[in-house]
Amino acid sequence: MKMNNQGAAYTYHLKNVGLQLVYKTSKVFRLNPRFTVGFIIVLVVIILALVAPFITWYPPLKTLVGKPFTPPVALQPFGVDDLGRDIYTNVLYGIRTSLIVGVSSVTISLAIGILIGVIAGYYSGLLEDVLMRITDMALIIPQFLLALVIVAIFGQNFQNIIIAIGIVSWPGIARIMRAEFLSIKERPFVEAAKAVGLTDVKIIFEEILPNAIPAIIPYAVLQVNTAILVEAGLGFLGIADPNVPSLGLMLNTAQQYLVRAWFMAFFPGLVLSIIVIGLNLLGDGLIEYLNPRLRKR
Amino acid sequence: MSPLMFFIIRRLIQYVPMILVVIIVTFLLVRLAPGDPTYILVGEVADESFVKAMREKLGLDRPLYDQFIIYISNVFRGDLGYSYLRSESVAKLIVERIPATLLLVLTAMFISALVGIIVGTIAAARRGAVDLTLSTLSIIGISIPYFWLGQIILIVFAVWLGIFPLGGMVSVGYEYQGLQYFLDVLYHLTLPAMTLAIFNIAFTTKITRGSVLEALTQDYIVTARAKGIPESRVVFRHALRNALIPVVTYTGFNTGVLLVGAILTETVFAWPGMGSLLYDSIRLRDYPVVLGIFNYGSIIVILANLIVDVLYGIIDPRIRLR
Repeated sequence: MKMNNQGAAYTYHLKNVGLQLVYKTSKVFRLNPRFTVGFIIVLVVIILALVAPFITWYPPLKTLVGKPFTPPVALQPFGVDDLGRDIYTNVLYGIRTSLIVGVSSVTISLAIGILIGVIAGYYSGLLEDVLMRITDMALIIPQFLLALVIVAIFGQNFQNIIIAIGIVSWPGIARIMRAEFLSIKERPFVEAAKAVGLTDVKIIFEEILPNAIPAIIPYAVLQVNTAILVEAGLGFLGIADPNVPSLGLMLNTAQQYLVRAWFMAFFPGLVLSIIVIGLNLLGDGLIEYLNPRLRKR
Repeated sequence: MSPLMFFIIRRLIQYVPMILVVIIVTFLLVRLAPGDPTYILVGEVADESFVKAMREKLGLDRPLYDQFIIYISNVFRGDLGYSYLRSESVAKLIVERIPATLLLVLTAMFISALVGIIVGTIAAARRGAVDLTLSTLSIIGISIPYFWLGQIILIVFAVWLGIFPLGGMVSVGYEYQGLQYFLDVLYHLTLPAMTLAIFNIAFTTKITRGSVLEALTQDYIVTARAKGIPESRVVFRHALRNALIPVVTYTGFNTGVLLVGAILTETVFAWPGMGSLLYDSIRLRDYPVVLGIFNYGSIIVILANLIVDVLYGIIDPRIRLR
């Protein structure tokens, strides 16, 4: 039974090489229900973030739109918080914040991680050793605490939060990138590129990098997730920009009123969980799809 | 020198500089920050003479190089600064909080290793419906922010049902001794440990499942099955045993994640560890303590990694030869 599975995965892989992208995409959905569920969740979340102004009826963060601590009612379906702010409105704008933080900080960490991974993977020797030692160190130091310290001493504003999360989360990406480069640079087409005298920069960015990018995509998705959780965690500890609606910061406020107002914690956290579950399913589905050995069921 | 000693020394040479790097990073961050570093190193203090004395002590009027030497020598003497707000040295404030945090982390680690390994193995052995359900549940478990999970657990079990305390580590107003004290702490520990464990169970399950699946494809499993050994024995004896090393090492290397988890969980349950200290310090803008917690937290994680790495080498002799 084992052999059959492996054989099937192998022929499947061979067959796949020449197939059209459209066929591949439809296959992903059929083969991998988790990926599909994740994809749908993420899509819905993105749409909600985009249309937030049209499906809410109070300005975000506006105080005293209702009586403080009102439990969920028709016009305030998630209730009203301690300062009379509508929780539903702030949750929807909070989704926006989460997504913006996730995507922008991952862009930063991708830039750093790819650069370091590329250099370490392409050039061997002392430079590689030094860069990988730095990467290993950066992987061990608790990234959350480092981000926290950076924001705490550089100032609690939205921009600093994004930058801090971006510059602490590159090591994982650097490692994957290096591994990809190590294997790709041995392939004949790279030899050929060297033989015709292309410069290193050209070989790295035009020959190898495009082939290495697919491997990084699922990890980038999971990294968006981590970034969203770090932002929420920082917000929960009170490290946040008070002028930006944040699901984490809402949970921080809720913490003081757990006995009195369960809804202040329940709804922001529920929505945060759904975002993270969606991204996790999407990322895991992609990894499983790209690695046929895991794709057995 | 035996190869094992050689291996351990090599690991020490690898890890000790990391601690130095953490300390240097802290130094640089404070100096790179906009404005006067005094504000961060001393805290928001109105007492002029105290600020002046601290500036003198930390050499803040002198060149950066001198400041660095003073800083490093202070750190090596265990002096991480002074919290004016709490009239206590940063080192003492943090060190007295470490046991509570460790108790929480280790309890959660134990529960989650036990449950996660069993559940993960079953998930790997029974592909199909059971596997799909369990791995979907574990993805949900990994995804849910545990500080929120903690809040919900607190609301349900402490506020609504009232069967567990709202927070803290011991009942206020009672002077329990011996067994009674132990039971009281256990009673307070239940909810925070449960919260942290649920998050980590999902993680351990995921790793165990992957590792056992990998082991089940090996030749010795085919041999074991061919010999007619019952399937449950094949899975739990032959596959799990060989799959366990990565699980144990991943758990060890995961200390950093668990420490951060504990810090957030403690905040929910007012568990008097490093997390609560951090939360209060952020609120009070007591920056020396925040920096100190970063230093201590990083060092704890580095040491945990070192220990796991060395144990790994002892368990698996092949590692030593690399």
